[in-house]
Amino acid sequence: MAYKPPSRAGATVYVWADYSIAERDRRWKAVQDAGKKAGFDCIFVPLGDGVDARYLTQLRCSSVIMPTDGRAPIIVADRSSKNTWAPEPWQTSREWSEPMAEALLECGMERARVGVAGLKGGKVTHITSIDGVVNHGAFSAVLKRLPNAKFEDATDVVGLVRYIKSDEEIVAMRKATAIAESGIDELKKIARPGVDAAQLYADVMACMMEQGNEYFPFALAIEGRRYADPPLGVRLVKDSFIRGEIISVWGTQIAEEDQGFLLGTIPESWRPVADRQREVYDAGLKLLKPGTPCAEVIAFGKSVEKKSGLASKIFLAGRGAGDDGPVIDGSTPAEKLKGLTIEKNTLWLWRPSVKSADEKVQLGWGGTVLVTDRGAERLSKRAHELISVA
Amino acid sequence: MEAPADTTWKGFTLAERDRRWAAVRKHASAAGFDCILVPLCVDGRNQHLSLEQARGMRSDGRYLTLLENSAVILPTDGRKPIVISDRAGNDWIPEPRPVNGSWGTAMAQALAESGMERARIGVTGLERGKMVHGRAYAGVVNHTSYAEMLRRMPHAKFEDDHDVVAFARYVKSDEEIGCLRRGAEIAAAGIEEMGRVARPGVTDSHLYTRVMRRMLELGSGYYPLALYTGPMDQIRLPRFEDPPLGRVLQPNYRIHNETDALWGGLIAQEQQGFLLGPVPDAWQRVVDVQRDLFHTGLEVLKPGIVFGEFVDAVNGFGEKRGMKTLTLMHGRGYGDDGPLLTPQDRGEKTRDVVVHEGNVFIWKPIAMSADEKIQYSWGGCIVITKNGAEQLVKRTPSLISLQ
Repeated sequence: MAYKPPSRAGATVYVWADYSIAERDRRWKAVQDAGKKAGFDCIFVPLGDGVDARYLTQLRCSSVIMPTDGRAPIIVADRSSKNTWAPEPWQTSREWSEPMAEALLECGMERARVGVAGLKGGKVTHITSIDGVVNHGAFSAVLKRLPNAKFEDATDVVGLVRYIKSDEEIVAMRKATAIAESGIDELKKIARPGVDAAQLYADVMACMMEQGNEYFPFALAIEGRRYADPPLGVRLVKDSFIRGEIISVWGTQIAEEDQGFLLGTIPESWRPVADRQREVYDAGLKLLKPGTPCAEVIAFGKSVEKKSGLASKIFLAGRGAGDDGPVIDGSTPAEKLKGLTIEKNTLWLWRPSVKSADEKVQLGWGGTVLVTDRGAERLSKRAHELISVA
Repeated sequence: MEAPADTTWKGFTLAERDRRWAAVRKHASAAGFDCILVPLCVDGRNQHLSLEQARGMRSDGRYLTLLENSAVILPTDGRKPIVISDRAGNDWIPEPRPVNGSWGTAMAQALAESGMERARIGVTGLERGKMVHGRAYAGVVNHTSYAEMLRRMPHAKFEDDHDVVAFARYVKSDEEIGCLRRGAEIAAAGIEEMGRVARPGVTDSHLYTRVMRRMLELGSGYYPLALYTGPMDQIRLPRFEDPPLGRVLQPNYRIHNETDALWGGLIAQEQQGFLLGPVPDAWQRVVDVQRDLFHTGLEVLKPGIVFGEFVDAVNGFGEKRGMKTLTLMHGRGYGDDGPLLTPQDRGEKTRDVVVHEGNVFIWKPIAMSADEKIQYSWGGCIVITKNGAEQLVKRTPSLISLQ
C-alpha cells in the first residue's frame, strides 16, 4: 500500500451500524454481480456519494472501491472510524483524492472500466440529484492519476440493488414507520389552538428521538405553508389545517407518514374530498404488486385525475436509505420509467391527494407501503382518516 | 427569550441582500474577476465529513440567495445576478431560473447570457478555502454539472475565487450578528437543559433528546447536537450526532458537547463540560488555566491584529503555568466558516489574515496537563467590536460538577 494514513484525525463519530455480516455480504455480492453483468471491472463509490457508501459500509463517511471479480473492497474512512463490516478501512483525515486513487491502483484498475456510483441521477436512487452527487475536486484528481482507466456512470448498478430490500431492511423500515406514527400520535396530543407551532415541532421530534430515531428533519404544512424546521411566528388557531410529513429514520431506512389534522370540526363539504382520496388511495394500492410496470402507475394517475369536479394527483416514491425512487406523479414522463417494474420487497411512499372543485380544500394522506408476493402491505397501522382535534 | 410564535424577527432585509452582493462584487473586482460563479454543490447529506462541513457545502449560495440550493452568476460590474434553483423563490429571489434538466447547461447558458464566454470567472468552493470550506480539502462542487459547464464554455477562464465570497462572509452585519446572538442564546438554553437532565442512570439518548427539544422549541433550525460521554479519565470520548443508543450515564462520567443552534440560517455554538461527580484537583487546575486562557484570548483579539500573533499568544500561554495550551477557534456563519484553527489545522495558511470588527468566532481553547492526560475545552461565540472581543452570551468558563 503506497498510501500513508494521517497521524491525526478528528473525533470518531458513531452511527447506527447493526445490520448483520450476512446483510453486508448480500449487498456486496449483489453489487459485484450487477457490476460484472454491466461489464465493469470495479464499482467505485467516490467522495460525495455518501448514501451509497453508507449502504455498502455502514460507516458515517466513506469511499468504496469494489472489484467485481469477488475480491473484498477497499474502503476509505475518516476519523479513525471502523465497524464490523469494515474492521480495517484505509484511514484518512480530510484528504480523499489520494487514498481513493491509491486504492484504485492497488486493485489494479489502471486500465480498467470503472463504474462510478452517483455520477448522475439514477432510475431509483439519487432521484432529485439530476447531476449526481460526486465531488468535483476529488474525482478530477482521481481521473488525473488514472488517465488510462475508463470511468462511466454506474448509479443504477448500486441503485437497483438498493431498490430491492432484504428482510433486515424491511424490519428496520417497520420500526421507522412505527416511530413516525408515534410522532403523529404526539402531534394529535399537542396540537391545539394557541400552541406555538415551534413547540409542536419540538415535541413531535423529541417523541421520535426518544425512541432512537436519527435526527432528520420532518415537515409541517400549516395553512398551506410548509416548514422543514420549527416554524417562526406561527401560533395555531381554531380551524388551523396542519399536514404532517412525519419522517423517521431507523437502520438508515427513511419512513414517511403523511397525516392531516384540522383543529376544529370537519365540515361536511370536506367529506367528498376525503372519500375520493381514500378511493384513489385504495385503488392505487391494488396496483402495487410484483411485475406491475411503473408506466402503468402513470396511466392510473391519468385515469383518476378528474371525477365529479374533484381533481386527483398521485404520488408514489420509492423509499430506502435516501433520495430513493422512482418518483411517479402527474408530471413523470413514461419513457423515464421504461422497463422498470414494481418488485417484491420494494418499499414506497404512496400518497395521492385530492382537491375540491373550488380548490379551497386539498387533502392528501399516505405512508409507507411494502410490496409482497400477495400485493401491497401498508406498514402504517393508523386509520385512514383526517384527524379532527375539536 | 421571546417565544418563536411571537418573534419580532421577520427575516433578512433586502438591504442586507444588497450589502452582501455589493461586498462580493467589491472583493471580486479587486481580484480581477469579471464575475463570481457559485456552482451547484454537492448536498451535505452526501458529502458529510463533519456537521460543520456538511452545512457548509451549499453555504455560499445560501449566503447570496437564502435558498437552500442554488447556483449564482454574479457579474462584478453591478448587474443583478442570475440565480438558478430547483426550489421555490423567496423575498430575495422571487423567481429563480429553473434548472430544466441539467445544472451544467443552465449555468453555461446563464454565463453566456451575462457575456462571460471569454471572461475570467471566480468559482467558489472549487478548492479548500482559507476562510470558508476549510474542512473540504477537495472543495464542494458537483462534478457532472461543472464538467458539462466547462465543456460548454471552452474560452472562459475558470479559477478558484481565492476566498472572494469568503471574505465577504467573514465580516458580519448587525443583522447577522443579531441572528448569531439569538442562536447563541438558544444554544446556552440547551446547555442549561443539559445541566438539569444529566445524572447517573439517565440514558444518553434521553439527554440528547431533551437538549434538542429545548433548542427546537426556542426555534432553532436543523443542526444536530454533538454529544460526547464517557469515563472522566478517557481522553478521547466517543462522539454522537444522533441520540446514542444503549448508553447510560454513570457516576464520574464526563460530558462534553458542541451545542449549536441556527437562527436565520446562521450557526451559533456554545460549549460546556459537565462531570457527574466532584471535580478532582488535577482537573480543576486545568479548568482554571483554560478559563484564564479564554479571557486572555478575548483581550488579545481586537481589530487589526493578525491571526499569527493571536495563535502564538494562545499556544504559548500554557508553558507559563506548567501546562500546554492550543488554539481551537473558527468562524461562525452559514457553515464551514474560517479561519479554521484546531489541533489538526494549526492555521499556517491564515497567519497573515487580519481580525476585523464584525467577525464572529466560536472560541474554545484547549488547556491540558503537561502529560496531556487531562484536556479541557470550554467556549462560546464571540464578536469582535471596535473595543475588542465580547461574548455573545455572557457565560463563565467552568467544568460543572453535577452530583
